[in-house]
Amino acid sequence: MGIIAPMSSSRRSFLALTGLCGAEALLHGPRAASAGQQPSRIPAPKSAPASADAGMALLAASRLLADESLLRTALAAATKAGASYADARLVLMRRERVGVRDDHVSGIGRSEDYGVGLRVIADGGWGFAATAERSAKAVEGIARAAVAMARQSALLMPQPVTLAPAPVLQGGWVSPFQVDPFSIAPAEKAELLLAAARAALAVPGVAHVDASVACVREEKLVMTSEGSRVHQIFFRVIPGLTTTAIDRRRGRFAGRDHEVAPMLAGWEHVTAADLVGSAPKIAEEALQKLHAAPAVPGKKHAILAPSNLWLTIHESIGHSTELDRALGYEANYAGTSFLGPDKAGKVKIGSEIVNLAADRTQPGGLATTAWDDEAVASQRWDLVKKGTFVGWQTTRDLAAAAGEPASRGCSYADSYASVPFQRMPNVSLQPGTEGYTTEDLIAATDDGVLITGRGSWSIDQQRYNFQFSGQFFWEIKHGRLTRPLRDVAYQANTVESGARVTCSEGQTRTASAAA
Amino acid sequence: MSAQSPLSPTEARALVKSALAAASFEDVSLRVTARRTAYLRFAAGAPTTSGEAARFEVSVTAAKDGRVATVSGTGRDAASLQALVREAEALAKLAPKDPEHEPPLGPQQYAKVAARDAKTAEVGPEGRTEVVARVLKVAREAKLVASGIVEHEDGVTVLANRTGLFALHAATEASLTTTMRTPDGKGSGWAGGASHRLAELDAQALARRAADKATMSSQGADALAPGAYTVVLEAQAVADLLGFLVSALQARAADEGRSFFSRPGGNAIGEALFDPRVTLRSDPADPRWPSIPFAGDGLPLPATTWIERGTLKALAYSRFWAHKQSKPPLPGPRSIFLAPADPAEGKDLLELVRGVERGVLVTRFFYNRMLDPRQILATGLTRDGTFLIEQGKIARPVKNMRYNESPAALLKNLVAIGKPERTAGDGMVAVVPPLVAKDFHFASVSDAV
Repeated sequence: MGIIAPMSSSRRSFLALTGLCGAEALLHGPRAASAGQQPSRIPAPKSAPASADAGMALLAASRLLADESLLRTALAAATKAGASYADARLVLMRRERVGVRDDHVSGIGRSEDYGVGLRVIADGGWGFAATAERSAKAVEGIARAAVAMARQSALLMPQPVTLAPAPVLQGGWVSPFQVDPFSIAPAEKAELLLAAARAALAVPGVAHVDASVACVREEKLVMTSEGSRVHQIFFRVIPGLTTTAIDRRRGRFAGRDHEVAPMLAGWEHVTAADLVGSAPKIAEEALQKLHAAPAVPGKKHAILAPSNLWLTIHESIGHSTELDRALGYEANYAGTSFLGPDKAGKVKIGSEIVNLAADRTQPGGLATTAWDDEAVASQRWDLVKKGTFVGWQTTRDLAAAAGEPASRGCSYADSYASVPFQRMPNVSLQPGTEGYTTEDLIAATDDGVLITGRGSWSIDQQRYNFQFSGQFFWEIKHGRLTRPLRDVAYQANTVESGARVTCSEGQTRTASAAA
Repeated sequence: MSAQSPLSPTEARALVKSALAAASFEDVSLRVTARRTAYLRFAAGAPTTSGEAARFEVSVTAAKDGRVATVSGTGRDAASLQALVREAEALAKLAPKDPEHEPPLGPQQYAKVAARDAKTAEVGPEGRTEVVARVLKVAREAKLVASGIVEHEDGVTVLANRTGLFALHAATEASLTTTMRTPDGKGSGWAGGASHRLAELDAQALARRAADKATMSSQGADALAPGAYTVVLEAQAVADLLGFLVSALQARAADEGRSFFSRPGGNAIGEALFDPRVTLRSDPADPRWPSIPFAGDGLPLPATTWIERGTLKALAYSRFWAHKQSKPPLPGPRSIFLAPADPAEGKDLLELVRGVERGVLVTRFFYNRMLDPRQILATGLTRDGTFLIEQGKIARPVKNMRYNESPAALLKNLVAIGKPERTAGDGMVAVVPPLVAKDFHFASVSDAV
């Protein structure tokens, strides 16, 4: 891994993938749903966590139910217009964001985005149309428009779209949470953030603090022309705290972000992050960064904390194992993949101890769900097994294109107005079997850098060459953390760096990444 | 898609009146957007997804005694609009004070901008399919695999408040981008364009440009050693980098010591920072490339010269920062025109190439990220058409490379400047020329094609 400083001759070649705060990030495990209220589910290889205790009541009170007939109208109109397949969805996104800067509120906002989207296959082509207007007339209009588009596209298609079979199912699910984040008043949220800002500003030398918390409630009802119906509600919370220290004399500044991760969770995740209690440390670390020694470019060993590694995995392995990219569907935009569509089971991309799993069932994961946007049950599967690439991320049409028997359940539409397509599941590096701790990894490193948190990043369109930074950097010398460093970035190649992973932390901690 | 506006001025005024009828605060403002968007995406030589969406959003900001809140929703009926206004007021009452909130603006005068092309608003699935069919034909004839997207939008943005502000901007926007790849994946070429008039996009010419690049790079590329090179950046590559500099044109970040334009006790306005041939302007009323004539807070966007013959002339001042610094407010640009100070200076791309002894020709940059705002230092990679220039000729394809470079350095190290053209991009109208610059830093080689 190309980092900083001359080539070292340490005892072991060490690109270590470690766990520093992953365990805390998975606070709330599955909890049993109340007796008799378990939503119906088609068994998946490994299933999503049980629906939230309050789930059935939330689903029963859902505003979407009043508009459910629109989905039936849309599906019927599409079928009548000539669609051979259709899926329709009501999507209601509610967002709330409270932000503060230094001693004042910089913004309190709520938004609601609600409408209906319809996707069809007609004459073997795809068509999609969406509207914010929730009336029978409007959805009949989008049905005709979507079928007309599908037919036009089909004129230019050498072969029709086909879908891998999927069981017909009905169900409801609410992501586990303890405290509905929308039940906490915005003023209370602002007071918490202002208290955190005060605690950080109390550290001499800290010039500015930005803190915010965003809460998202995603509610979705999907129906297919095959008869599936799934109704789900997701809560996500995204806390953030950034402290900035400025050295005006030398014209320098340094920012330090709290490393708390966004989660599929309720307000309890914000409480557990203890923004007020941790603010002084984040502030002190901004000062440490400001006065840290600059890193010297060269080759070194990197120990990447999960708070840093998740994004590297997301970008390098997560995106390259998306089958739509490998098939060239994203060639003009996101890019393709260094893995060709015929490479599953044939390409070694890491050392024997590298095992990466895709998982849409993992508690707390941003991509965790019970069913995807095609009503396919969520699951867990191997992307990389003992260093060999073995599995793709797929949707129903991608699975059919690859000759696989069933979709992996990766279809997602991020709003009513977005066409569902293949999006990334949670992707995690599996812990090593030796049971190494972070301390073991540091102790075994002669000359290296410990990198935590997310920094700037950039990667090419086939996911080979990447350059990532981080939030905080510790120099490692002779097995000890010696001093903070600044301006550290690591540049490497997905395949080469995967091949050089020689040790990863044991225990139950993993780094994970999601779309 | 019909030619009827997604929101006519009459409908907009009625909607604003109906919503504001529920207001009890003096300071209540609305932002309404109604947009019809449509696209046809293609890949692997055939259409993949085709979509249309009719979106509508109302956002209400209510403020009283410095307590401010914003809520938004998608309901268009009177009851939904009024509920939104009441929710914004209720939320504002709960909000702690925001000392940076400015009082509402009164009526404003805006530049007349003709940015809605009725023909573009009328385009339906057949029109999009025609465009894509032209691209696919070029690809077939060149034995290349085409992917890309044609998209267009018919949108209306309205700002209004209780103190008489009313601003409405109707605009169409169309773009076509295409990437052509050789079937073996060894060569790739890109071309794209944008305009408020779909008819202005020449699908066949763009497709040929992408195809030529893919074919020229089809024999596979050698790696160049990382280091500093003279570069010829096509207009798209210039736009990709320049965006970082444009977003740094903010007085507050400069005055607070966080920006490239920071100076002890202030900012760099008046300093000669770039090559004297460089002039950067914004102008919403440009007849060929019109753009929105007002900022998000309702202030008019005047035609502004940001950099004149290499000297920084202006930075954007928010209303709050302008008050604090006793300066007139100036919104940031929503369109950018980078041009030689002397228009006769502008050369064609191949003329630029002819003037280079040894250098790298870059089609576009990808995954561009800011590394250090103090230098506007960015990183990213070349993509879809990177070539070595030797003795004034495009000699051979080279592997893509990661750069670590600043657009500020690019404008300082200028060697020659080309003819401006409209580039494809996100949100902002960018009309920029291809440039030749020396000492452009490539940090490493990428195997990606």
